[in-house]
Amino acid sequence: MPLDSPTRLTDLKLPTAVLAAAWLGDTELLVGCLDGIYRVDLDTASHRKVAAHASYVSSVAALPSQGQYLSAGYDGMLQWYDLATDSIVRSRNLHAFWSWDMTVSPDETLIASVTGQYLAGGYKYEPAAEREPSVKIVAADTGETLQSLSHVPSVQAVAFSNDSQFVAAGNLMGEIRIWNARSGEQVASWTTPDFTSWGIIKSHCYLGGIFALRFAPDDAELLMCGMGPMRDPMAGNGRQLWQRWDWRADPPVKRDETHKDESGEGLMESLAVHPHHETFAMGGRLRGGNLNVGFYRLSDGSKVGSLKSGYRVTDILFAGDGSRMILVGGQGQPDKDEQGRIADFGRLEVYDIA
Amino acid sequence: MGSFAGLFSAQAIADEVKKQGKKCILLWLCGAPSQFETWDPKPGTETAGPFAAIPTAMPGVHVSELMPQCASILDKLAIIRSMKTEPSEHFQGIDVLTRGDAPRPPFTRPILGSVVAQQLGQLDSPVPQFVLLDPCPEGNEFKAFKGGNWAGWLGAEYGPVRAGGEYSIPNILRPESIDEADHADREALRRFLSRKFENDQSSAAAAGYNAAFARVKGLMSCAPLFDIERLPADDRYRYGPGAFAQHALLARHLIENGSTFVMVANGMPWDNHVFQHEMHQMLVPELDNVIYQLVNDLSERGMLDDTLVIAMGEFGRTPWLNDARGRDHYAKAWSLAMAGGGIRGGVVHGATDERGFDVTTDPVDNRELFATIFTTLGIDPAAEYDLGDLPTFHRVEGDAKPISTLLNAG
Repeated sequence: MPLDSPTRLTDLKLPTAVLAAAWLGDTELLVGCLDGIYRVDLDTASHRKVAAHASYVSSVAALPSQGQYLSAGYDGMLQWYDLATDSIVRSRNLHAFWSWDMTVSPDETLIASVTGQYLAGGYKYEPAAEREPSVKIVAADTGETLQSLSHVPSVQAVAFSNDSQFVAAGNLMGEIRIWNARSGEQVASWTTPDFTSWGIIKSHCYLGGIFALRFAPDDAELLMCGMGPMRDPMAGNGRQLWQRWDWRADPPVKRDETHKDESGEGLMESLAVHPHHETFAMGGRLRGGNLNVGFYRLSDGSKVGSLKSGYRVTDILFAGDGSRMILVGGQGQPDKDEQGRIADFGRLEVYDIA
Repeated sequence: MGSFAGLFSAQAIADEVKKQGKKCILLWLCGAPSQFETWDPKPGTETAGPFAAIPTAMPGVHVSELMPQCASILDKLAIIRSMKTEPSEHFQGIDVLTRGDAPRPPFTRPILGSVVAQQLGQLDSPVPQFVLLDPCPEGNEFKAFKGGNWAGWLGAEYGPVRAGGEYSIPNILRPESIDEADHADREALRRFLSRKFENDQSSAAAAGYNAAFARVKGLMSCAPLFDIERLPADDRYRYGPGAFAQHALLARHLIENGSTFVMVANGMPWDNHVFQHEMHQMLVPELDNVIYQLVNDLSERGMLDDTLVIAMGEFGRTPWLNDARGRDHYAKAWSLAMAGGGIRGGVVHGATDERGFDVTTDPVDNRELFATIFTTLGIDPAAEYDLGDLPTFHRVEGDAKPISTLLNAG
């Protein structure tokens, strides 16, 4: 089993926490950080900053067919760059609020980005209705907005199906909506209450939600992750949780979720399906227990391996041949040192899983 | 009160302040909000967080983009950006920032609202003089604090009447089986017997019980004041739907109708060790709107000069982010806001360094803050408490002086 004992090959530090990563080639990565976008050469273990947003960079993606790459940020902007020169090719102010998550369809024709500010909409702090379309789909080659789709803020995760036909988006309240990506027709909608907390101890408001989505290799099921409900959401000690749903059933049916005694506590915010289509990985923060990255069989959901990285994992990538795994994330930002500097707290690790 | 006049340019000003019948609304931001996402943004630095800074009505002064409405009325607000206090744990921080000083047993220092109610309140009024509106029954450390002795040595009659949310005021409706006359006769008999017992036995407990009973009797006559449903729909819409906003509106209503001090809380929602930005994106806009509506309403009603509005927590949040997307407790450099009640608008007092690690100009501690609050309300901060055999205690210890730049009369 390749994932039961991963071996760390590389351990890099970046100036600020890494929130997203994408492959630019066999030995090069693109990473989005709190302070901008970096290209990382894995052979030389070096990095260089190539661009920035006016706020955190939430997502990055490659567009190899067009010789470009992309980033989205908490400034609501979507930016295209020339792969050879790193110059900005195009930028779009997609959202008035953050782009929480952005992704490119596998056929590289569509880009989806999700937004939404959680504002008080009721006495118990139910989310207010959206003030702008929560989901936008744009043409990858022109930047033209093709679909503006409605959801309930905040919409925190988005994914395309492997056949590029469908787009799924999940929100704070655990509601998932799936649309035909080209027509904008909504084809499924349901809510799983298991990722959302309503504060009892310290605060009366909602917290949590779905933080990552991935379609299973055959597109028949949808994986999602986050953190289980808590009495005190401020404790961040909800169960590390994934669920797998048959979204084509009417109504959609939950097929599986993190098995009992196979999880610790902490927010899970990244999912990746291994290229061999036998396993998937889930990563996030360790609040309690002994893992913050787990590997699970797609067939029966059983855990086949785990890691304790020592930092919050925000994104997971597998190499195309399945031989390596990339983890990115961030440690707690340290206090300044005696010289007034803040030590690097972004992390990138390469693991051999062959 | 000998030291009181010295705080002002003329005794006449002090006398005038006392005559004005000042009141106070404390927006108690329990859990401790982030100064970076409110009053002291640090754009372009490692500590900035994801939110931008925006210009305000005060040239050159910026606040978080989450506060556009307060930005537009900053000329009516006073911001202290240089709060520097000691406790960095909640219970101790709440103690110091609501009472004005750290505990010094056996003396229990009365909470701000109790002092204001005792000094400025109309004790013969049926309307409660000190009201705590807190719809959240829990609150972690704040819950524990709520169970403590708020009025301290002043006595239970100066403690708060608690209302809000699930805390409707119980047993204040006269049963239909008892008519007005019968009820009055029963009350007269009860008052006679208990006063006799109180006098015969020198019983403080009986005195406290009598005070509480008198207050309940008063509440029976003013229960509708506490009914949010009776407030104008337009006002309720303007303040926003959340429990904190609705109770801030209720605070205005109570002040308009005779209360002297209203403290508005909602548990301890600002303690964002996790999801700092995900929570502040919701909490700060609500606070922004509440302050804006309150200040404008009080101004339009001609009440702002006599009503002090304070928005503060027990400390601030760290410049750095932990690995759970949170900011932790930070008392070394934090911010708060005030308006009205004799506080000069358009003032930003003090400053922090480029990244918000420390105070660089005009540090303010809890004693100076309380000296400022008491002074602007016309209460002598240097007054001595007469505590029998105990050492001498003052309303504000250490001969702390008010911040003169914040006082209209300074």
